[in-house]
Amino acid sequence: MSSPSKTSLSDVSARYPTALLVLIAARLWLSVTDVPKHLQHNQQLSSPLTSYFQLQEGIHLFKNDIDPYSGGSFRHSPLLLSFFATVLPDSRLVASVLWTLGDVVAAWALVQIWRTRQNVVQSSRDTLVAASYLLNPYIFLPTLALSTSSIENALMLLAMMFACKKKASAALFTLSFLLHLSLSSIVMLLPILLLLINDPHSHLASPQPMTKPLRKLWPLFGEFSMYTVVLALISTLVAGSLAWIPQTWGATLTLPDLTPTTGMWWYFFTEMFDHYRPMFLMVFSVHLIIYVVPVCLKFQHDYLYANFILLGILGTFKAYTTLSDPGLFLTMSVIFPETYSYMRHPIVTVLLHLHASLLMPLFHSIWVTQGTGNANFYYASTLVFACANGFALDDAIWSGLRIAIGPSVEGSHVVQE
Amino acid sequence: MEKTDQEQVAPEQQLTGAKKILSKLKQLVRPTGNVHEQRLRRKMKLTSLITRRLTLIKTAMFVIGYLWMVLLPVPQLGRGTFVDENALQPGQVNTQWNWGDVHAADLYLGQLEQMRDVNYTSERRAEWFKEQFSKLGISASTQNYHFQTSAANMTGTNAYAVISSPRNPGAEAMVISASWLSIIDEGAGTVNIRGVSMILALAGFLKRYSYWGKDIVLVISDGYLDGMQAWLSAYHTPSQSGLTADRLEIPSGVIWTALNIDYPGHSFSHLGVFFEGLNGRLPNQDLFNSLNRIARYTAGVPVVLYDHLDPREDSAADVSFSRVPSFLYNIQFVKSYLYQARNVLRHFGYQYNGRGSGVHGLFHQFRIDAITLFAVPATGPHGFHALGRTIESTLRTMNNLLERLHASFFFYILKEPTWFLQIGLYLPSAILISAAMMFHGLSIWVDAGWMKDDRSKSNEKSLSKETPAPEPEWKRRQRPVLDVLSIMAATHVVGLILFGIISSRLFISNYKNLGQPLFSILTTAPVMIIMPLASQQMFRKDVARRATILKAFNLCFASTVISIITVLNFSLAALLAILLGVPLVMSSSSLQTELPIRMIKYTAYAFIGLGWLLFAQTQMAQAIWDWQILSVWFAPFVCIVYAPLVLQAGISCLI
Repeated sequence: MSSPSKTSLSDVSARYPTALLVLIAARLWLSVTDVPKHLQHNQQLSSPLTSYFQLQEGIHLFKNDIDPYSGGSFRHSPLLLSFFATVLPDSRLVASVLWTLGDVVAAWALVQIWRTRQNVVQSSRDTLVAASYLLNPYIFLPTLALSTSSIENALMLLAMMFACKKKASAALFTLSFLLHLSLSSIVMLLPILLLLINDPHSHLASPQPMTKPLRKLWPLFGEFSMYTVVLALISTLVAGSLAWIPQTWGATLTLPDLTPTTGMWWYFFTEMFDHYRPMFLMVFSVHLIIYVVPVCLKFQHDYLYANFILLGILGTFKAYTTLSDPGLFLTMSVIFPETYSYMRHPIVTVLLHLHASLLMPLFHSIWVTQGTGNANFYYASTLVFACANGFALDDAIWSGLRIAIGPSVEGSHVVQE
Repeated sequence: MEKTDQEQVAPEQQLTGAKKILSKLKQLVRPTGNVHEQRLRRKMKLTSLITRRLTLIKTAMFVIGYLWMVLLPVPQLGRGTFVDENALQPGQVNTQWNWGDVHAADLYLGQLEQMRDVNYTSERRAEWFKEQFSKLGISASTQNYHFQTSAANMTGTNAYAVISSPRNPGAEAMVISASWLSIIDEGAGTVNIRGVSMILALAGFLKRYSYWGKDIVLVISDGYLDGMQAWLSAYHTPSQSGLTADRLEIPSGVIWTALNIDYPGHSFSHLGVFFEGLNGRLPNQDLFNSLNRIARYTAGVPVVLYDHLDPREDSAADVSFSRVPSFLYNIQFVKSYLYQARNVLRHFGYQYNGRGSGVHGLFHQFRIDAITLFAVPATGPHGFHALGRTIESTLRTMNNLLERLHASFFFYILKEPTWFLQIGLYLPSAILISAAMMFHGLSIWVDAGWMKDDRSKSNEKSLSKETPAPEPEWKRRQRPVLDVLSIMAATHVVGLILFGIISSRLFISNYKNLGQPLFSILTTAPVMIIMPLASQQMFRKDVARRATILKAFNLCFASTVISIITVLNFSLAALLAILLGVPLVMSSSSLQTELPIRMIKYTAYAFIGLGWLLFAQTQMAQAIWDWQILSVWFAPFVCIVYAPLVLQAGISCLI
């Protein structure tokens, strides 16, 4: 939507690193101030599965030879546990630097994805792409709160970047690592495998059925399974038993911790009668999976877009969401500028997000701090947030499909059957 | 023949009529033809219906919204108060407070009057309070505090005592407090002398009974708000920036409810209740309702809101307070309306700036429901006896609580002691205005995306000359979103800087002199920066003007702010709806207007947004004090959100 810039390429190549450095410096400065202390326990920024506070607790137990998975509070993967307990010193500053680094890697990966998609070495849009990741409040606030969801985002973008660049092993290893941190990312397996055997360039405007044979997927899937099994073995070795499975992966499926999040699950299962619980847990989990195949079929001409859509579905519907999950989806829309002019209601989506992002902290504090409201207030605001995400998702799907028909002609309309 | 004909026709017509309806129904349920086309046509019909009447809809929403605000004090609107929480059981106990206790209070009063007259220091006073508590066998202590911020430099000493619950381990507590300075003129200097003696007498009295299920914490705070803030801050959080206070030596439990006693006069006729807390929070209405019932039925004291006597009950208050002619005033409806309007306006005044109406308001920041009992000074007939019985019975009621007050209402406007507005009856007024602003902003945004296409018209003309006036063709055009967002962000950054300046020590220490230069700098700077940029802007027809987009976004954002603030602080939202509603809609972005007129418009916006730098300097200093000492977010909100919003409207007149 911005006017085309006429800056020369050398100008651009100088601007991109400077802008990146400034953004990183600002981020680092913020993370060493008092701000993170106030955000650390914010329930919109970190869920029980991604909270830094609980990670620290687990590390402490682990270092004192107590099995962190025997209690009910530690739900991080043993991989993270071993990583933090051995390699890294347990200091706040190091953590801030590490999390900032994670964001930088993610932003870099996003720029790489953009360049690969456009098939260029660099472009004038690079700065915008990086800034849209680093300046997205949905993404940098969880980073300031040291939520591990930021690291999950970085891994997700890395996996996609490797897939775009056809580096199969790297992509599959990153994805299987990500799977260990967050079980819901299994949704991304099929689209990333398909992206690996297809090109990442934009074919939205000229859809073609996929010609590549699907049997190519099997060796890739085998490799992915191998990585996953190896990482699972390492996890078991670290944890000393299989107790980590119900505590980490199991938590995503059985929702033992009903701490409020930005997602749709917690309130529903707070109100649920116990004997319906297993049934609805299954419904909610399966609901996430059912989108995978239809989206991959519909966008078989452009699997990067399928990835994008499925990220939106994850951010809206998965268990234990934080703000950074929908944040990743919204930010990723920056690499599909060709669809913008076909969006139906971008301003409505933006306004809904504005309302939701103001209402959520407000109603949370009215409920928890002020005590004048109750859980329904916060739940209502998460519903507004879900609507906002739904609107964004709907518009992304519509514009991604609509672009194939071309610009609208006076007197004719496009409808979906 | 004719007749029969008609008779024959009639049933046929009926039949066809029925058939028509039936076929229409069928059409609805199972449509024939192109379903999509029908749906599209229906949609377009609806859209054009709405767009054609959009101005009407917007105007109606504005008018209804403002009218609704004016109608809030209509006496018929609302419902009667009731006690919701079953556990409270107000007024169900026999009170034990008797004339002996009144005598004890009188004795304390005599000593206090001596202390006041010889001007005891805070420390000596607090030490004396502690001594009195200790003499009664209650563990007591004092707390020194010192506030040191750019806006304040205050020192004082609080005294407090804890009567441990005889029945429970003291997991919960209730507070009964009095500040040294009375609520009269917001702590101007009247000493709350009988309130303090009441606390001392109550200490001796309450300790005699064994039915307390909660600790009773008695606090005599120094100053007006500062002492209690220091005490509460030390009780709940270890540190507040700018405050150095002693740690509290005697611990107690979680405080659920608190009563603050204010009795400055000789005797009183009514008990006034103040209830607005910090940042617009209100206490649970059950607390007020219980007190109301207890005061009326146990002690026989009428309860009023604030110090407003009801003109329909008290002849002393039955004077027309404004310039309303007496024949109008004597109509019952007008009298009731004016009385309730007075209450509502007083409530708005306490709530909008987040300051609350007294010492009780400080409790609210820690989720404690608290109110102030104000003994409205009069020549009689009530005194320590009635007040003591009221407090005793209220404490017994608070003692009954099994969980925090949660039933009843947290969002209300009390119009009379027994009559209030629920949230559903007042919220829509501000929401309607905010929705109208949103509609207006969205319609501007949509309109900005289209332009009349001249080129195709001229082509047509050259091709076929016989069509005299071809319909104007509409073409899409670009809208400069990023530019406008940067302008908006810049104004909010300016607001942040403004807040930094006015809360700095340099500015606060002589704000009377610096207000004017700051105002002129802030209002001229945007002109200096933006005018050259605006003149550079090439006029292109295929790109919407920045001013138009700025206005659209400005309205949408302002609408969002208003509708979100309604839940937090309705009075502030209503004020914003009045200050922002029509003015922001009026901002123009047309190029045709002469530059001087646009400058005048801009200046008008500057005065709406930043005029407080010139005309409300004391309130500004007060708001900064509130922010630094009490964490009331009104001052930062005005600087960072409100003023930039108005400035944006002004800028959209310029560019």
